[in-house]
Amino acid sequence: MSTRERVARGRGVAQRYDTALGWVGGRAVRAGAGGRVHWPALAGVAVRVLLCVAAVLVFCGPLVTVVSGAFDHTPDPTELSLLPRHPSLTNFTTAGEYGVWHYLVNSLVIAGGALVLQVAVSVFAAYALARKRFRFSAVVSLLILVTMMLPEEAIAIPLSLVLGDVPVVHVNLQGSLLGVILPLGAWGFSIFVMTEFMREIPVELEEAATVDGAGEFRVFAQIVLPLCRPALGVIAVLGFNMIWEQYLLPMVVATDPADYTLTVALVSLRSNEEVGPGIVLAGALLALVPSLIVYLSLQKSFLRGITTGAVKG
Amino acid sequence: MGTSTRLRSLLIAVLGVVGLVGAGCGFSPAAAKDPTAPLEVWTRSNAASAKVYEAIFAAFEQATGIEVDYKAVPIDFDKWIQRRAAARNLPDVLINDTGMLGLYHSQGLVTEIQPTSIAGGTDITDRAWDSARASDGHHYGVPFSAQAMVTLVRRDWREKLGRPVPTTWAELVELATAFTTQDPDGDGQADTYGMLVPGTTDRGYLSWWAASYLWQGGGDILAPTGDGGYRVAVDSAESVAAVRWLRGLFCDSKVIQPGALTTSTADAHPFFETGKAGIYLTGPYNFGRFDKSLGKDRYEVIPTPAGPAGTTVLGEGENVYLMAGSARPDAQRALAEFLISPPAQQIGMRGQPQPVVRLPVNRTVDVHATYQDPRWDLVASSYAEDARPFPNVPNFQPFRQQTAEALNTIFASCTDDVPGELGALATALTAELQAQGMAVP
Amino acid sequence: MPWLFLAPALVLFALFKYVPMVEGVRLSLYEVRPFLGDVWVGLDNYASVLTDPLFRTAAGHTLLLALGTTFGSMLVGFGLALLLEGQARTLWFVRSAVFLPVVTAAAVVGEIWRMLYYPAPDGFVNTLLSWVGLGPWPFLDSPDTSLWSVMAVGVWKGAPYDMVIILAGLAGIDRQQYEAAAIDGASVWQRLRHVTVPALRPVASILLTLAAIRGLRVFTEVYVLTGGGPANSTTVWMTTLISRGFEKQDIGVASAAAVLLFLVTLALTVAVRVYRARKEIG
Repeated sequence: MSTRERVARGRGVAQRYDTALGWVGGRAVRAGAGGRVHWPALAGVAVRVLLCVAAVLVFCGPLVTVVSGAFDHTPDPTELSLLPRHPSLTNFTTAGEYGVWHYLVNSLVIAGGALVLQVAVSVFAAYALARKRFRFSAVVSLLILVTMMLPEEAIAIPLSLVLGDVPVVHVNLQGSLLGVILPLGAWGFSIFVMTEFMREIPVELEEAATVDGAGEFRVFAQIVLPLCRPALGVIAVLGFNMIWEQYLLPMVVATDPADYTLTVALVSLRSNEEVGPGIVLAGALLALVPSLIVYLSLQKSFLRGITTGAVKG
Repeated sequence: MGTSTRLRSLLIAVLGVVGLVGAGCGFSPAAAKDPTAPLEVWTRSNAASAKVYEAIFAAFEQATGIEVDYKAVPIDFDKWIQRRAAARNLPDVLINDTGMLGLYHSQGLVTEIQPTSIAGGTDITDRAWDSARASDGHHYGVPFSAQAMVTLVRRDWREKLGRPVPTTWAELVELATAFTTQDPDGDGQADTYGMLVPGTTDRGYLSWWAASYLWQGGGDILAPTGDGGYRVAVDSAESVAAVRWLRGLFCDSKVIQPGALTTSTADAHPFFETGKAGIYLTGPYNFGRFDKSLGKDRYEVIPTPAGPAGTTVLGEGENVYLMAGSARPDAQRALAEFLISPPAQQIGMRGQPQPVVRLPVNRTVDVHATYQDPRWDLVASSYAEDARPFPNVPNFQPFRQQTAEALNTIFASCTDDVPGELGALATALTAELQAQGMAVP
Repeated sequence: MPWLFLAPALVLFALFKYVPMVEGVRLSLYEVRPFLGDVWVGLDNYASVLTDPLFRTAAGHTLLLALGTTFGSMLVGFGLALLLEGQARTLWFVRSAVFLPVVTAAAVVGEIWRMLYYPAPDGFVNTLLSWVGLGPWPFLDSPDTSLWSVMAVGVWKGAPYDMVIILAGLAGIDRQQYEAAAIDGASVWQRLRHVTVPALRPVASILLTLAAIRGLRVFTEVYVLTGGGPANSTTVWMTTLISRGFEKQDIGVASAAAVLLFLVTLALTVAVRVYRARKEIG
């Protein structure tokens, strides 16, 4: 065995410990002596490429059929395909006649309003939990923890009744978008993730600022907040995902179909026999796009969020 | 890194602005309890019917100055009402099936009406007022529209095969068999069926279709005992015979379209329009639609073919319900009075492509003069002579639902044990009757 | 001062979590009749839930669905993680693509799969099946296959999520252990079994239990895909509860079912936490 060969093998072997299955990279294929093809490596790479293609088809294919069906003029539920056969925008204009744009605006208003509220509430609460020592702080943590264990589905019915006459202030939030936004405004998970991040920020900076005579809110706004920016991205993207997933809440808060969000409206759109599948797909695509935009633009924060938060429940 | 941070801030900012601005506009506290808010009126209507109702309510606003906030809810209407009831926040007025009266009354959702105190109430036919009366003898709705089921037949098919208009059950089956086996559309393929049945159990649809035949055969689901009570009659000899005959259509002569037992009314219409089935017992509201899609001269409305016990058909309609908890009882009443007036009834009858008032409840409105259509004259005489509604036991819906499910099972399994199945159904219905406090001891 | 920062969160939690929770418990003790006045029935509503055949069937479906979806997602997620582990740019791209179902709202996922599952022979999935000589299957249309079809959709949406977490776990495994195993002459399969899986076990077990508990409240997917049908073959606890409360106007019974769900969830979650805390100490 020549030295060159041994070096090449060695590199190939070393690579095999990068992954649990010991996949070899494309480079290993050409690692044979004199640039000859290394057949077992080639086979490995080929298998892996094939499996990757299959995975992408299985997990993305269905989403692609939505795009194709939404733009297809003669949608036949039996013949979804990866490419539209008669591309047109008719489905969207027809969907508009059934109020899809109105539902989309409802969804966006709720997502925007609830997200801003949720992030602000989480940041404030996390600041208190991570930075202040006070009596009953353990009780507060427990109270928040219980809200996380409480399946929100389980309180949907009483919540809808409570929203009809909110205690103390006695306003009726049923049928209003605020009735969806406010209950989403505080999310225990988001508060805890933020608290963890804040605990990691060194206290010295704040102490210095306080010594310099800066007020509580100035310290918070000018020192703590800027340091939390990566964490803000994390709770924003997780919060958006959580809000966009909401189904039962907008459903029970609505007092007539015009209050629905886009995701909730899809079902009644489909049950309407005047509406064809192409129009439902157009609606589904509109409901899909915002979550894709948010995910693709904040992907790193998202993955970081679910890996840190996964075991939290 | 820089771009992604900026992108992120931008994204959050945009969402935030949209959210806060929108939330400000969307906020309308305590809308339903506000006595100055417009009257909230709901109907179960598709977009086309909604246009007709809009015209009626526009006329009402012009006549009275009372504003109407009208919502046409085509999907899940009943679920919506239950949801609003749970929140004690009902719409002010509903226009909905007469068959809902029992349920609404038993839940306390509707207010009582004194027929004599309604302006124009004396012009309403007695038959119509009957369908607004609950089992306690009081009225809880104002009649709005009436109808009787009619039998539609593909005239072109019938004439092509040289058959007479069927006048009895036997002739009806002969015609249906001919439609199924003799290729009435002449395309050389066995792709036509005799009868069209919306036979899904959803909302109890199958009972709506089967009830007329059950009655024509002398059977019944619930029979009045004469003292205000009811007894279960679904396992009587006549009922069993009638159901056997219906079962034969599905299982022996096989003249029913495939998939009938999961087809809803809305899904059924296209089978008639596209020439898949030739006989259709249905409501009279689709003449406009079928004239357009199929052609006026290609189908006919025939007098109900008689069964062993006669030509009874299901005749129901719609009521105006004045819902409980409204802040504007006077406006509710004013709307009801307007809706039964001749001008409103006529706008409803002239609605295109389908009328929202089928037969007027107001006897001063002339069906012949308004429709100028002999088919409607037939509907009117059928309603006057042969129509009967489902009884308003406090709540008929469970009876309709369970009957539909039992019939669906019989027709799907083609079991020979019709008495056994109906006996089991009768036991279940008797229990329900007792639960509703209407069983005769 | 800390209370000022905590106030928004506490007020929102009080109004929209705690008050409804208490209200739900109260309602569960009444026959709720919005327009006729509520009637105190004590624990009757709980008795009706526990004896109702619909709720019983639903409980069975819920358990089966929660366990099946959780384990299925974990298995498929594990496979995906093994396949897509690595630093290469293309792998990153594939991972991003595979992850998309996770961010797609459940309602949209349901609508998509309803169409893909179209039961005719020329439906999308059935066409694919016909290429390999299978099908056509009725999927959501038949009581025999509907629950499994719903479960498959749950796995489709859940697996990429598990993949990400398992990938994080894989990244934490010491490479020298692999090398040591290779020197000992272990095959890839043995290495997987004796090094990789044991290293992932703690994370995976927590993930499985929490996901299974979360699975008990499944609603949207089922509601959108089947609404509980056909012939109640896919009813789960939440769909039964909602139809009881909002369609049949039995708010008292629905509230009792909700309280039971909460208690079970709470008990299981606390049990898992206590068990974990013990383990960490011990």
